[in-house]
Amino acid sequence: MEGLAVRSSVFPIEWGALAPLRLRARTVAEGVYAGPHRSIRKGAGVEFGGQRSYVPGDDLRFIDRRALLRHDKLMVREFETETDRALWLCVDATASMAYRGDGAPGAKYAYAALISAALARVALATGDPVGLGFVGGDGVRPLSASAGREAFDRVVGSLESAKASGDATADPHTVERAVGPIAKKARRGSVIVFLSDLLDLPERARPDLLPLGAGGRTLVVVQVLDPAEVDLPFSGSVRLRALEGDVVVEADVDEVRAAYKDRLAALTEGWTKDIEARGGRLVRAVTSEDATAVTRAVLRAIAEARA
Amino acid sequence: MTFLVAAALLVGLLVGAPIAAHLLRRRRAEERPFPAAALVPATPPTARRRSSLEDRLLFSVRSLSVLALAVLGATPFVRCNRLSLTRQTGASVALAIVIDDSLSMRAKVGDKAGPTRFERAKTGANELLRGLTSGDAVAIVLAGAPPRVLLAASTDLGAASAAIDGIEPSDRATDLDTALRLGGDLLKGLPQIDKRVVLLSDLADGDPAATPLAGTTDVALWAPLAEIEAKGEPDCAVVRAERAGTQVRVRVVCTPVLTIAEMPATASPSGTARAAAPNNAATGDGPSAGRSVQARAGERLLRTFALGPSVRTDEVTLDLPADAPEDVTVSLTGSDAIAEDDAAPVSALGAKLKVALVVDTAATHVETGGAPPVEQAFSALALDAETHPLPTVPDHADELAGYGALLVDDAPGFTPEVRRAVASWVEKGGVLFLTLGPKAAAAPLGAGFDPLVPGVVRWGASPSPGVEPQSFALLGPSAATLADLGPQGRASLEAEALANAEVLAKWKDGAPFLLRRSLGRGAVLALSLPLATTESDLALRPAFLAMLDRFVRIARARGGSPRVDAGDSWTFDGAKSVTVLREGSGGPNTRTKIPVIEADRRMRATPSLAGVYDVAIDGEHEVRVATVPEREIDLRPRPLVQSARDAHLGGAAGAVDVSAYVALVLLALATAELAIRAWTRARSEPPA
Repeated sequence: MEGLAVRSSVFPIEWGALAPLRLRARTVAEGVYAGPHRSIRKGAGVEFGGQRSYVPGDDLRFIDRRALLRHDKLMVREFETETDRALWLCVDATASMAYRGDGAPGAKYAYAALISAALARVALATGDPVGLGFVGGDGVRPLSASAGREAFDRVVGSLESAKASGDATADPHTVERAVGPIAKKARRGSVIVFLSDLLDLPERARPDLLPLGAGGRTLVVVQVLDPAEVDLPFSGSVRLRALEGDVVVEADVDEVRAAYKDRLAALTEGWTKDIEARGGRLVRAVTSEDATAVTRAVLRAIAEARA
Repeated sequence: MTFLVAAALLVGLLVGAPIAAHLLRRRRAEERPFPAAALVPATPPTARRRSSLEDRLLFSVRSLSVLALAVLGATPFVRCNRLSLTRQTGASVALAIVIDDSLSMRAKVGDKAGPTRFERAKTGANELLRGLTSGDAVAIVLAGAPPRVLLAASTDLGAASAAIDGIEPSDRATDLDTALRLGGDLLKGLPQIDKRVVLLSDLADGDPAATPLAGTTDVALWAPLAEIEAKGEPDCAVVRAERAGTQVRVRVVCTPVLTIAEMPATASPSGTARAAAPNNAATGDGPSAGRSVQARAGERLLRTFALGPSVRTDEVTLDLPADAPEDVTVSLTGSDAIAEDDAAPVSALGAKLKVALVVDTAATHVETGGAPPVEQAFSALALDAETHPLPTVPDHADELAGYGALLVDDAPGFTPEVRRAVASWVEKGGVLFLTLGPKAAAAPLGAGFDPLVPGVVRWGASPSPGVEPQSFALLGPSAATLADLGPQGRASLEAEALANAEVLAKWKDGAPFLLRRSLGRGAVLALSLPLATTESDLALRPAFLAMLDRFVRIARARGGSPRVDAGDSWTFDGAKSVTVLREGSGGPNTRTKIPVIEADRRMRATPSLAGVYDVAIDGEHEVRVATVPEREIDLRPRPLVQSARDAHLGGAAGAVDVSAYVALVLLALATAELAIRAWTRARSEPPA
């Protein structure tokens, strides 16, 4: 079962190396609880946030007496507050994510689950809540954003209980159903990480997914690919059957490899262009790559993304 | 199908082996799961492209090889639906194939969309030829009157096939007896023990009441094609259409109407099962019921005359309009068994053959009274000739000019004037039938028959009781009735008379009984017996009728009459160049040239199709007509002995040994596979 790979040694990950990492984003957060992130709200805090004219109802404790004496105007001093930043993880658990090529250590879903778990650990370490959603899959248990000691176990348990299955091409609303609850719950400043191979997704997946990057949210898409999908390592004449849909292609791989790579690159580039247009980032991960490095890359992409 | 056949053909199931191997090999390159399959461009795999053409060829060749092997195994037992003979002892056979090319063979087999009887007969002959092997002999005889030998007995099967392919249908009458006898004669002396005459005919020879056709002890008769046998189908024909001024005389002949009582007797004379005759026996209506005779000039209808319901023969006179053109065609409305005889062009000829008879009624008479036997015979024969009894032979050529034939019975010689007039008339195409008796032998001084019959005629007792029938074959079976003639005496001729003469019949001691001498364009027939009943009963015997019929035919052929039956010949003695063209319906460009054959210093042309002919004799053109023989318009079959249908002779589903052909196919397939493999290898090897 691919989900068990999160706590197994199929994909080696250095959990200790993740300890100093923090979830950082350029956007201000709209959290509920106090946290290390700048809050969209101003009020009691330690960082001076500027002055503004007094309006009735303002707390009289923040009237700037010096400005009143100097300019004879009622001015109020504002301070920035620090709040939590929710991390929403959405993992593609359709059948294509169950693919594991001959040279890969594990399935794509297992790898995506591990990256998700690593991101959740980083977020939870700083008190940020983590939510979880799935596209497709069997036995999935979406989680609302929560923090605390038990949150990591809930996230990992949910990732491990899911099994990659289902045909996304047969259901054009499958992505909408997965990201819809996240779009409603994710507040301004939330970070949404969508992990998928971006293959076999329905045509509506892109317009359903991209709005997650709006409204002050940070959208990072992690494209998880198997090494075989990157290199098309077969040789000679083969019949290739897609895991979703009824596509069967008979081709001489040696002849079409270059064209395939071009098409894959075009697909990735198309997603990248659309995501970056909304301030997001796309990170491409291959299951043969070091999961720690990929996690760092995702965190870096989160930090670079702008709302 | 026997067990061996089934077992051999089961080998053919192995044809599935290459198919299964091919499918299995295809499946080894099985599918692989690949999520990004949609991004992989679909291309015909190189492996398949490389092997597609040669693989398919090899696959086809191997499959065919397996099938051929199975058929080869079952070959000795394979039966196919084609005419083939059964070999009694496995030895070679000698066949005389008698193909009926008469008018009645133009009728269709089965429905109107099917082939004609003639075409089926040709197909059957070719099927028989394909069943023959090296060592078999075949002869081909055509049964249209007069029967002809198309190919003498030969082991050259290619020549036989070519001869059969060249046969064309004709409008001739049918003479099955002579054709079968010819076929039997052609097989005599051949080393093959198994000799057969194969009759491919509808058996409609116009004489359904005659004795059944049969083979001999040496030569078996086999009639394998029962489907082309005539069944008394209704048919009407325009046999003659002659124009005199504005009147057209049309002679229409129809097949006889069978009564219900007649049908079983005529429909199954040989005891074989036959379909009921299709004419309306219950109502008595014949094939002419509801039909009319129409005279047309192109698309213009000139006259119509409705026929009676049960016409057998009828003469119809149509009055044409005064402005009627020259080219007029007479046709019958409706349809019948033979469409080709339903129309005939109108010829501008009106005169029948006129035969002048000079007979001593005092010496040649019958006790019952009436006309002399020869006149009664002409009347009975209905030879479409007008007889004119004359008291004496005219001594002026102009008086004979209107006659085509002259019969003189035992004249006491001719005076010089008569001899000159008759000789001049004969040289222009007349035919003289001269019977010689005691009066001819007692010619007065100065009288004789020179140059018609040179020399002196003598009369004496006959040392021989009768005529040798074999020498008189042209009379057919009736010649046998002259074998015991027993005359009171007979005339004898000098050797001078026999020079340049053709002896048509001999007495049993070898003396000439009937001879023919050609003189100019005409001929003289000299018979060594008179017609007087006091000397012999020759005039009362059936052979005499056949002799008269022959006489009239010769007269017509010699130009005495411009109209002959299709199949009869025109003879042009004394002519240096003769051209015969058959007028087509489409104008001068559709004329067909008829071959003129010169044999025994005599030029002869035989029109096998009815119609109008343009005959040019030494540059002088004249119009002659070939008509449909009346006796051919009778589609009742001649009886046939039951043994001619025996299955042991062969049939339409006989065993055919095709192993040689199958083996050749197998060899060709093996060669093809080798060639394909060599070609494939040459393609796959990289260039040096």
